[in-house]
Amino acid sequence: MRRFARHAARILIILLLGGFLGATLVRLAPGFGTDEEELDSRLNQQSIQALRQSHTNDGSLGQFYLHYLTRLLHGDLGTSKTLQQPVTRLLAERFPETLKSVGMGLALGWSLGLALAIVAVMSRSWFIDLFTSLAAGALLCVPAAVLALLFVIAQAPGRLVLGLVVFPKIFRYARNLLARSASLPHVLTARAKGLGGFRVLLWHILPVAAPQLLALAGVSVSLAFAASIPVEVLCDLPGIGQLAWKAAMGRDLQLLVSLTMVVTAVTLVANSASDLVGRSLREGAA
Amino acid sequence: MKQRLVRLALSLSVVLTISLAAAQSGSELRFCLRAEPKTLNPVLMADEPSETVRYLTGGVLMRLNRLTQQLEPELATSWKVSENGKTISFKLRQNVRFSDGTPFSAEDVAYTMQQLMDPDLHSPTGDAFRSGEGKVITQITGKNHMTVTFPAPVVGLDKLFDQVAIMSAKSPEKEMAVLGPYYVAENKAGSYLILKRNPNYWKHDSSGRQLPHIESVRLDIQQNRDMEMLRLVRGEIDFVNSLDAEYFDKLAAQAPNMATDAGVSLDSEQMWFNQVASSPLPAYKKAWFTSTNFRRAISEAINREDLARVVFRGHARPAVSWVSPANKFWFNAKLQPHPYDQKSALQALAQDGFHMQDGALHDRDGHLVEFSVITNAGNKYRERMATMIQQDLSGIGIRLNVVTLDFPSLIERITRSFDYEACLLGLVNNDLDPNSQMNVWLSSAENHQWNPSQKTPATTWEAEIDTLMRAQASTLDMKKRKHAIDRVQEIVWQQEPFIYLVNKNAMSAVSAAVHNAHPVALTPQVFWNIDQLTLGTEVARNR
Repeated sequence: MRRFARHAARILIILLLGGFLGATLVRLAPGFGTDEEELDSRLNQQSIQALRQSHTNDGSLGQFYLHYLTRLLHGDLGTSKTLQQPVTRLLAERFPETLKSVGMGLALGWSLGLALAIVAVMSRSWFIDLFTSLAAGALLCVPAAVLALLFVIAQAPGRLVLGLVVFPKIFRYARNLLARSASLPHVLTARAKGLGGFRVLLWHILPVAAPQLLALAGVSVSLAFAASIPVEVLCDLPGIGQLAWKAAMGRDLQLLVSLTMVVTAVTLVANSASDLVGRSLREGAA
Repeated sequence: MKQRLVRLALSLSVVLTISLAAAQSGSELRFCLRAEPKTLNPVLMADEPSETVRYLTGGVLMRLNRLTQQLEPELATSWKVSENGKTISFKLRQNVRFSDGTPFSAEDVAYTMQQLMDPDLHSPTGDAFRSGEGKVITQITGKNHMTVTFPAPVVGLDKLFDQVAIMSAKSPEKEMAVLGPYYVAENKAGSYLILKRNPNYWKHDSSGRQLPHIESVRLDIQQNRDMEMLRLVRGEIDFVNSLDAEYFDKLAAQAPNMATDAGVSLDSEQMWFNQVASSPLPAYKKAWFTSTNFRRAISEAINREDLARVVFRGHARPAVSWVSPANKFWFNAKLQPHPYDQKSALQALAQDGFHMQDGALHDRDGHLVEFSVITNAGNKYRERMATMIQQDLSGIGIRLNVVTLDFPSLIERITRSFDYEACLLGLVNNDLDPNSQMNVWLSSAENHQWNPSQKTPATTWEAEIDTLMRAQASTLDMKKRKHAIDRVQEIVWQQEPFIYLVNKNAMSAVSAAVHNAHPVALTPQVFWNIDQLTLGTEVARNR
């Protein structure tokens, strides 16, 4: 329970700091508080001044963040400047889309990565090992945006790109981990005693690698969330990745701070959950 | 047997007709907006995507026919502008209802004008009507008659109503109740908008069938032009309203029937130097940029023909001044684009003491002539133009550095910090009347970009432009106005505060499935006759 409370406190502090840093970056970014509309030749002097004034109503950075947190306590995340809609509504509309994409991507990346890692380790064939490593290495070299573009051209479902982004990392890490576990003395003894490959994997290799694989689960969530930005933008998926891009382009402070906090929260919760489960597993094994 | 066959044939034809009608009534026109509409309130709309929504949904008193460039009656069956140009009287159409069923009346026009001119709303459309201090008076003079009186004459008054979408004074749906062909049925912010056919739209075709023909319009928000093009080729969207030269040529090679070049548009691409006295530039650079000879030399050293030919693949023409040749009435036909003449450029520079030294141009005090031009990142045409200008200027020993910035940073530099030397940007112009650019040409205006918000004109020629622009805005005599605007064009051509480079052509792409589309140079190029457009049955097959 104490461990859980410690984790929750850490998440809260990082979340607040993350939000503040996000707000600082946006406020200090060149072009904050400007609007393309200012160049509209129809607008007269007063209208341009009013437009400029409307963008500087948030006060100083400290004042803005304080107001933001006060509103946050009442469940109000403000209104998006670029999309003219309440941020809570935008998040509610788009978060499920991203969750769906990330969920599918993680499922694909993990099943593909873990399955190929197991095949590479258990087959002990240099050809399979080389082939799978080359495939993972090649995908590791291709940026998520390029993959997304290829999917758009091929008219393939964009959500799968996240799977291909996650896959090489899972594969490489899992392969190394499983190979190391497979070379432990007790595993070699089990093999020497004639235990079947499947049993060796299930009883002797996976339990040893499980806590570290769980730690990787947390990292893979943040990886998938980060990749969702270019993927959603290019594949036209209406999730929070696309929203983050629009918010950044429009210097949309309210929206960007909220998105930073949401993504930070998801990443921290995923990492903490995998950390907690991993520790429990290790303690159980001990 | 024969009778049975006839009956069967008849039944089949009825079924076919019904299914065709159903396919037509269930039709959806799709195209892309390049950004999110900033607002759906017609009074506050200023950006292009919002204006697209307003064009499709808003009912106006009169509409400028984009093909003939003449005003046509819509919700006003007739109108008359008073001789002093302050008052306009309308006779309104009867038995018209908003999309939610609320009846349309003169009260709605009065309410719209009140909203439009509300000083606290800062409506860009309203600002176009503001010619003097004082209140706008609306008077309902009869059941379907009303007048609107402005405190001072408004030039081109009737044409301004093309932008005024009438709002309901009584509808509980407020600005979402519309009088145009469509209403906004769904708005997924940042993703798409669905517009449905207005069931109460007043227009009917010659056979008495209610317009518009197309059931719904889907507007996908798609910033990436490559994607937009890809989607057009795949049949996922039906047209691209404004096409870039590169895509136009590709499409023209693949499917010539789809690509249309409607000729030179009202838009221009221009470059200007920072002449702001308080800018953080060194004094010697300020002296260069405020010199007419220097600006003229730069202008003559740029090969506009090459820009049009190489960057825009021939789908542009060298620009002359701030009025495009597409604007037939207002364009000063006596003016010609500055010729590409590097010798003449060097002679002009020599008059100001510039000289060549080791292959590089130096000013009178020995400073190397080097400056940077900023433009918006991601606009490949401007980036290419800047590179070509860089090459041209190297021919007269000038080093030009090209800096691309994202739009907010660029706006900050040209409107607030003035920390830039030259800027390359374009002007999207939707209005034929040059009075709409008053806030660019008055020296006191914020959008007088080379040196904004001057307390008194910095130069005599700016003072002359101020006088001419004010004079043309205060008279309804078209001859006098034309004379003044011609003279302003001449001054701008001589002084070159903006170095006009090219006027782009208006290009668009329309799928063969869209019938009755006649793309024009004025915006909105393709869907200006939206209520007349129909979709072929091949659309249903594609989707």
